[in-house]
Amino acid sequence: MRIERINNGIVIDHIAAGKGIEILKLFPTEILRTKIDYASYIDSPRMGMKDIIKIENVDVNHEWLMKVALLAPDLTISVIRDAKVVEKINPTLPELIEGIIKCRNPKCVTVRETYLPSLFRVARMENGKLKQQCQFCEHIFYS
Amino acid sequence: MTESFDFKGRHIIDTEDLSTAEILHLVKTADDIQAMGDKALEIAKGKILATLFWEPSTRTRLSFEAAMFKLGGNVLGFSEASTTSSAKGETLADTIKTVALYADIIAMRNPLEGSAMAAARYSDRPIINGGDGAHLHPTQTLGDIYTLYKERGTLDGLKIGFLGDLLFGRTIHTLVRLLSRFDVEMHFFSPEGLNIPEYVRSSLQAKGAVFSESEDMNGQLAELDVLYVTRIQKERFFSEEEYLRKKNSYRVDRELLEKAKSDILILHPLPRNEEISQDVDDLPNAGYFRQAAYGMEMRMALISKCLGLM
Repeated sequence: MRIERINNGIVIDHIAAGKGIEILKLFPTEILRTKIDYASYIDSPRMGMKDIIKIENVDVNHEWLMKVALLAPDLTISVIRDAKVVEKINPTLPELIEGIIKCRNPKCVTVRETYLPSLFRVARMENGKLKQQCQFCEHIFYS
Repeated sequence: MTESFDFKGRHIIDTEDLSTAEILHLVKTADDIQAMGDKALEIAKGKILATLFWEPSTRTRLSFEAAMFKLGGNVLGFSEASTTSSAKGETLADTIKTVALYADIIAMRNPLEGSAMAAARYSDRPIINGGDGAHLHPTQTLGDIYTLYKERGTLDGLKIGFLGDLLFGRTIHTLVRLLSRFDVEMHFFSPEGLNIPEYVRSSLQAKGAVFSESEDMNGQLAELDVLYVTRIQKERFFSEEEYLRKKNSYRVDRELLEKAKSDILILHPLPRNEEISQDVDDLPNAGYFRQAAYGMEMRMALISKCLGLM
């Protein structure tokens, strides 16, 4: 499959093979109305197989960068302007994430009082899993 | 130089937010207030405590209210959710913001875990967590620490046994976590399936605490200085038969105490069922009613400190 070059927009590269579709689901609908190239299970010298996504005429924003980092920690995002890479971003997980992850403890105050922004302490485990601890109820979840 | 312990305006949500020095200062403050006698009635004169209890509680709510009355202050509040605006769909944030206009300090119990921390975000008055679901109950824990000091003079070197349901008892988890900061030995006795949860065990291991776990006390009862008993909750068992078998194997009575040190201190967060026989109540070893009184005295200290009055 051929992925076309883009003049303006972003390229999300080094996505674990098969994970790209989950990242696409994170995008707001207005982004999905622009031109998107998505290739899955393509050869990669570094990863063996990988997914790649190119989106035209869009800027990155902080909130979905964090969501993307939660899902696929190893990817890189290149920002393209006039057909040149002007910035490379490796999304990093902050220690505390506010308002993105939902607590799965049904007795947690953030589940009932929905105006409260959730607050999670996150850490990548040695086995690659993501440890997420709700700072309100202290329940720990892994993903 | 004397260390300053300024608690004015501070929320009390979790004992883990308090340093060991601060906890010892609260113990001293509780003692100082009791030494004042009737003069303590001047401490919070003109101040108002709101007790917001969305779920039923006898001991904790009355203990907070008695503490405020003994400091000369006033109390307002509610003791069940059905009589409040929450029943009409009011948010926790709105309730707290409103009550903070009426009261100088707020003690609350809400079944949602993390609710006290959430309330603190919307209150410029100190929030004291009187229990947030099965999560935390810091004033019980601080009262228990005060009890141990009052009854034993020190925590150093104490061998403390915990008996009963150690899995679901929230008072045990916060107390054990706090005790691991001190030079104590802890021994956990619980029926199979009701032992301390993994996160408590790993926290104790990480702190290098000295502890053991077993199903019966036979080997260690004679060594214990303190035995902290908790209720075994019937609803945790799949069959009545199993519940009765477990319950009866964990009964503290005079006969059992003959195998213990003569001055062993028996504690219980109350309410109790049959895990402590009533024939123990008259023994000097029965510390559980004194423990309830010490809990109130610790709440007097907390209210005074958080209002900046001591």
